Amino acid sequence: MVETVPLPTRPRDQFGSKNARRLRQQGLIPGVIYGHKEEVVAVVMSREDLDRVIRKAAHIVDVEYNGKTEKARVRELQWDHLGKEVLHVDLMRVSKDERIVIGIPVVLRGHAPGTSEGGVLDQPIHVLNVECPVLEIPEFIRVNIDHLGLGQAIHVKELTLPPGVVAKADPDAVVVHVKAHRVVEEAAAPAEGAAEPEVIKKAPKAGEEEE
Amino acid sequence: MAMMPKRVKYRKSQRGKVRGNAQRGNAVAMGEFGLQALEGGWLSAEAIEAGRITASNFIRGEGRLYIRVFPHKSVTAIPLETRMGKGKGEPEYWAAVVKPGTILYEVAGIPESAARECLARVAYKMPFKCRFVTRRPNV
Repeated sequence: MVETVPLPTRPRDQFGSKNARRLRQQGLIPGVIYGHKEEVVAVVMSREDLDRVIRKAAHIVDVEYNGKTEKARVRELQWDHLGKEVLHVDLMRVSKDERIVIGIPVVLRGHAPGTSEGGVLDQPIHVLNVECPVLEIPEFIRVNIDHLGLGQAIHVKELTLPPGVVAKADPDAVVVHVKAHRVVEEAAAPAEGAAEPEVIKKAPKAGEEEE
Repeated sequence: MAMMPKRVKYRKSQRGKVRGNAQRGNAVAMGEFGLQALEGGWLSAEAIEAGRITASNFIRGEGRLYIRVFPHKSVTAIPLETRMGKGKGEPEYWAAVVKPGTILYEVAGIPESAARECLARVAYKMPFKCRFVTRRPNV
């Protein structure tokens, strides 16, 4: 289970992109707390505290603001265009007895024998949406691929999930499979004149003749 | 063979400008590791193909390669020693418009050390500065 990480915050009274940029220059990250039909609170937190949350992959945090502590889910992280810095955090209030739908990473374990037979291991689902109690969010879903031969697949319905955790994906969706290596045939060089795409033309209207 | 659209509405397009940063297509989505452009510009279909061949030769059927960009834009040129005027030139090649942060290639099914080497070789073929990236943390 994922541990709960404390996240100290303080209220934010400055809004807008200019003020948000100034906060980020001071090593602070703007965020917002909402949910459960309570008031929306704009907060600011230190980058170090948020980095700790991200490093531990904590989905649920004990967010501290206005002298009280509440459980909140990290609903969304906004990253910069290079994916280096977090720009903004959305924290959504949750209660202990609530069940939530959340994406959990799928981790492969072992070595698929099919890859030695000339197959390619393909994992279409890296993050699986599951429904589970707030305090029992699994850290990851481990999938053993030691028996996966060429042409074989593991579907969502075949996954072994912890008790209380229900997959919210198509049961027949493929999580991981070993497929035969596709040999890409080099296409022959196109003839001169055929190297241009077809231009879409308007179809002439009914009763209208082409000139 | 270099990539190009199958059907287009217009053969020629205006040049435009590459403004801003990539607000989409800037995270590893399908594979495990990716090559991210740190600069903006046009990436020709030939360069995309060169990168594909380099990566395919390195991976050699062990992993999977995803190409995240497609050359939708036609780039025209006029022949050498031609007087100015007489209209726009003919399409010379096709290019993808790349903004800083765009993920160009992704690989999956190979260890990180191999992926780093593979994408470093691909980066050598690219006309931009690139960096190796992994999937963003799932929180």
